[in-house]
Amino acid sequence: MATSKDESSEKAQPQPVMVVAIDESDHSAYALRWTLDHFFTAGNDSVFKLVLVHARPSATSSVGLAGPGAAEVLPIVDSDLRKIAARVADSAKQLCIKKSVNNVIVEVVEGDPRNVLCDTVDKYHASILVVGSHGYGAIKRAVLGSVSDYCAHHAHCSVMIVKKPKTKH
Amino acid sequence: MEELGGGVDQVRGGAEERRMKMKVMVAIDESDGSFYALNWALDNLFNVMTSTSTIGTSTNENEGMLFLVHVEPIFHNYVYPIGPSGAAFYPASVVVDSVKKGQQERSAALLSRALQICKDKQIKAESVILNGDPREMICQAAEQMQVDLLIMGSRGLGKLQRAFLGSVSDYCAHHAKAPILIVKPPDEHHKKHS
Repeated sequence: MATSKDESSEKAQPQPVMVVAIDESDHSAYALRWTLDHFFTAGNDSVFKLVLVHARPSATSSVGLAGPGAAEVLPIVDSDLRKIAARVADSAKQLCIKKSVNNVIVEVVEGDPRNVLCDTVDKYHASILVVGSHGYGAIKRAVLGSVSDYCAHHAHCSVMIVKKPKTKH
Repeated sequence: MEELGGGVDQVRGGAEERRMKMKVMVAIDESDGSFYALNWALDNLFNVMTSTSTIGTSTNENEGMLFLVHVEPIFHNYVYPIGPSGAAFYPASVVVDSVKKGQQERSAALLSRALQICKDKQIKAESVILNGDPREMICQAAEQMQVDLLIMGSRGLGKLQRAFLGSVSDYCAHHAKAPILIVKPPDEHHKKHS
């Protein structure tokens, strides 16, 4: 069950890993900020090892039906998606650095978010998975699918769902 | 803000105070899952809050606050007889009272067990007993007390413990406004068909 390098702390166990899921939405940025504020105190070694993971949609899934021009469009879409993913990963990393959490692993993996998140949890033997939530109602959830819902059911570790508070109107 | 003028030390001091006093609520019921969640939370989360007492003037007591909430389902004051009449009637008040007392004793025993666990790990905790539908009461309590984090076990229905959440934790995951942490029971089968 050894994860990354052991910190020479009082405990002999390896450092527990916290995986945070990020995407382009505000909700996951809020979730990341909340997690950093509450779990990673500034200025000293944090207890958790932080892993950020971004699931990049693959080009083929975004383009949809293969039409006659699909072959030319795919590389463009692919590089575009890569740029977006890099930007997301970068801004997340900046956010961590701003809160003085260094030593963060950022992963960008291609594929469906649900599987990517659960696989990342398994890969790092994480103890917590943190996801934001779009706050869909029951119908949207059924139609669009909910990643946080899937992860809460299927991840092999504890799942923390952080919701961005709605502004009251 | 005054922090702008200060040096590095002052900023760091400000950051130390800014560290959240995290208010955590743990939902307790008779199931093992919720006690496992409580233990897991005490082990993993409160390390975070107690590990930083090395800087300067902060005292040894942890700054987090733990609330244990237990919801008793409402005992319906009527019973349906199985006999031919089929109409509901009100049982004698003696029966109602004794059931209520039994329920209260059970809740008190549960919470005292949970409080003892917290005391063993030297974490301050307060307990609350509520009446009503567990799903709604937990979400309401979390909102009223403005907790920072709500922790629940996930009982899981049937053998597929990983694939299903208990209905209360599922409801709260969707409806609670606060961030919610669902603690899964430990893995019993390592080979999981997925």
